[in-house]
Amino acid sequence: MDGHFRAFSFVDRITRPGLSVRGLYQVPPSIAEFPISLAAEACGQLAAWTAMATLDFKLRPVAGIAPVIELPGSIRPGQTLELEAEIESLDADAVAYSGIAKVAGTLVLRLQHCVGPMVPLEDYDDPSAVKQRFELLCGAGATPGAFPGVPPLALDYTGGEPGKSLRAILRVPAAADFFADHFPRRPVFPGTLFMHKVLELAARVTDDILTPARHTAWVARSVNDSKIRAFMPPGESLEFEARLAKQDAGSLTIHVGARKETKVTGHSKIIFHAEERA
Amino acid sequence: MSSENITQAEIDAIFPKVAAMMADALGCDVEKIKPNASLINDLGAESIDFLDIVFRLERGFKVKIPRGKIVEEARGNLSESEFESGGVLSGAGAARLKVFLSEVPADRFKIPLKSADIPRLFTTETFCKLVIRQQRAAARPA
Repeated sequence: MDGHFRAFSFVDRITRPGLSVRGLYQVPPSIAEFPISLAAEACGQLAAWTAMATLDFKLRPVAGIAPVIELPGSIRPGQTLELEAEIESLDADAVAYSGIAKVAGTLVLRLQHCVGPMVPLEDYDDPSAVKQRFELLCGAGATPGAFPGVPPLALDYTGGEPGKSLRAILRVPAAADFFADHFPRRPVFPGTLFMHKVLELAARVTDDILTPARHTAWVARSVNDSKIRAFMPPGESLEFEARLAKQDAGSLTIHVGARKETKVTGHSKIIFHAEERA
Repeated sequence: MSSENITQAEIDAIFPKVAAMMADALGCDVEKIKPNASLINDLGAESIDFLDIVFRLERGFKVKIPRGKIVEEARGNLSESEFESGGVLSGAGAARLKVFLSEVPADRFKIPLKSADIPRLFTTETFCKLVIRQQRAAARPA
């Protein structure tokens, strides 16, 4: 249980509990990178804390549906995320919420109308430990800096057509620190790490597509219609496919799906804009 | 409000918007979303898609759709035990469901019908009717 509330927990403190919940997370300065998908995880966790507390720690939401995730910014290690989530509806079936993450007052991520289906909390975690953690977060807060960083999760590229499509295999590790936290009683590959790999694969497709002007690059600015259709347990192999679906002068849409054998496990549409290189 | 009072004109008026939302939720072309398409059997919908569709309809039409509303409304005046027993619909329950889901072709009702299989009957039009009922409910004086 060493990694519980450490290896994949992204809320250090809940500064305002309730249906308009606010929180903070300090990205450890020592880690190499903090993917933007983990800011989405942080917002989702903030909403999940409200959901679990409201439902008396009997149920918890899991990753499900994210109609729109806007990515206006990026995050560097050492920065502090200011998290907000607005609970739009909450019952025993699901929580619906929108949220944002800011760094020093500047928006870096916006989630719109996400839906997390509920599962029995005790199947995934120790409800009393979760409740104690919530009380800590609402009080003094947790000690920042526990997240050890994103583990290596290599995509093995298996084929495709340059600039149009790309296929790859992701082997979900059989063991990893984050499984101790996500979740202790039923390890599941996090949907936001799935999104991290989706963004990576889509970006690889754009590597072979010319931008409309010199000194510009394709930058992922939105992840739309994302859905996690199945739990991804440790050790599972997922076949990813990214396909250029639409291109106009200044933007691209790339559809990415993943399947295990015939079962679709998740999919997203990534919108890239051509922007001046930083 | 019973489904019999819902006119085809009302359904036609909202169908394009419902179809577009379903296409987004299911990740398919809108042309595939036919009024009588079974969401599960024809469009491959899973339980998470139903959740997605319901939330999209709520936002798109500004109505509140309580979960399980279709089955609850299908039961009408029948009690739970009159409607089904041991997970299988009674004769009265099946008859009531056929009236309520009048948009579903009769040959899709396989008797005996398990309660768990009711969502297999749902079509795009079923959700159009659900939205119309909720719009009417919202417009009714409290």
